[in-house]
Amino acid sequence: MSRTSSRTLIASALIILALSLLALSAAGYLQPAESLVVRPLSALQSWTATRYAAIRDFITSPSDVTTLRQRNAELEAEVARLQQQVIGLQEQQAEATILAVLLKYAREQPESSYQASKVIGRDVSPFLRSIWIGSGSDQGIARGMPVATDRGLVGRVIEVRASVSRVQLITDPEAAVNLRFQQSRADGVLAAQLNGELWVDLIDQNAEIAQGELVLTSGLGGGFPADIPIGRVLSVRKRDYELFQQAVIQPTVEFDNLDIVLVITNFLPVGVSDGAQ
Amino acid sequence: MLGTLIGIPVLALLAVLQSSLLSHIRLLDGRPDAVLLAVVGWSVVGRTNEAIGWGFIGGSFLDLFSGVPFGSTAIALVLVAYLVSFPEGRFWESHVVMPLGVMLVASTVFHVLGIGTLVLVGHPIDLEVALTRVLLPSTFMNLVLILPTIQVANSVTQRLFPPEVKI
Repeated sequence: MSRTSSRTLIASALIILALSLLALSAAGYLQPAESLVVRPLSALQSWTATRYAAIRDFITSPSDVTTLRQRNAELEAEVARLQQQVIGLQEQQAEATILAVLLKYAREQPESSYQASKVIGRDVSPFLRSIWIGSGSDQGIARGMPVATDRGLVGRVIEVRASVSRVQLITDPEAAVNLRFQQSRADGVLAAQLNGELWVDLIDQNAEIAQGELVLTSGLGGGFPADIPIGRVLSVRKRDYELFQQAVIQPTVEFDNLDIVLVITNFLPVGVSDGAQ
Repeated sequence: MLGTLIGIPVLALLAVLQSSLLSHIRLLDGRPDAVLLAVVGWSVVGRTNEAIGWGFIGGSFLDLFSGVPFGSTAIALVLVAYLVSFPEGRFWESHVVMPLGVMLVASTVFHVLGIGTLVLVGHPIDLEVALTRVLLPSTFMNLVLILPTIQVANSVTQRLFPPEVKI
């Protein structure tokens, strides 16, 4: 048998094998085997991610000092402005306290429970915007759980294995998040663009959206809990002949520097049953 | 057989590094493709049949760390390894430009197959963005890295499989 025909034979056999694996995986039969292989690899992945973060922090620390000084000056200015607001808000607080007591009777808001998890890797496909975290079904993670940081919404768990899970970032074009503008109270839907920009679509034409306005999850549709920050408005596009206006937002989360995230474990979106894979 | 067995831990490690480390080394949205480089490098140094096996193993490991359908990257890498095996024995094989040409074809085919898979499963893909922000930058980085990769592959093959000498 010539070398070329031998190669063709090997390649054909392996493609048929890969197609069989694809079919088995699509039917869900490979899940236990995948988890078995991924478990030791995720430990290695976690080790590598930790070392990488340590080296990155060491290299970038000098430039961070300059950034922090600049940030400090900005925050001092912000503090002065906020102190003025505090005086006005103290007056309102007295009213709000009474209203809050009344509201508490009507609506008991459960405390969110969180599972902190390390980011151990990113999707190897450059076309998919998702991350791997070092917690899986063994830690009580289930498909659909929202993921956030102290700065805002990160995404949602879309794939769960025994020790790791995949989180679809809100910057993925397939992610859809119902949101609300904090001041104008207008609703919209997050539409991540393929070039990485975050757009908000389906905003009522009559809404007055201000630049810098905070955008939060609305909780509509039951996909995410309400009031998690998503970003701030960078610009607004409003055309008279269109049904809706759009806004470009700057996310509050820095998706390139995610180290640890919080999975909200006591929230499952509507339509996803507990423990679903 | 030995080359294939060696490939399993090497490719597993490369897939892990691809997810945890190389995903941070970006030019626009493009990244170097460690497993693709290993497969092409192994093929260029003459281990063509093993390289096809490496394509399957490496692709399967990559699929474990990706949201693409399991097996699709394995198919893409087997096809790439099969394609790049054709220059074997050709007179221009030893020319310095050859590995670059092979890598150019390999990287393009690999990413086009990746895009095709995602289109098939209904993931939104803007072809212009995919070309300018992913395919071209990734291919550029792969071209830069293929020559050192071949050097490493050459040195490994000479240690593992020294040429037989008649005395």
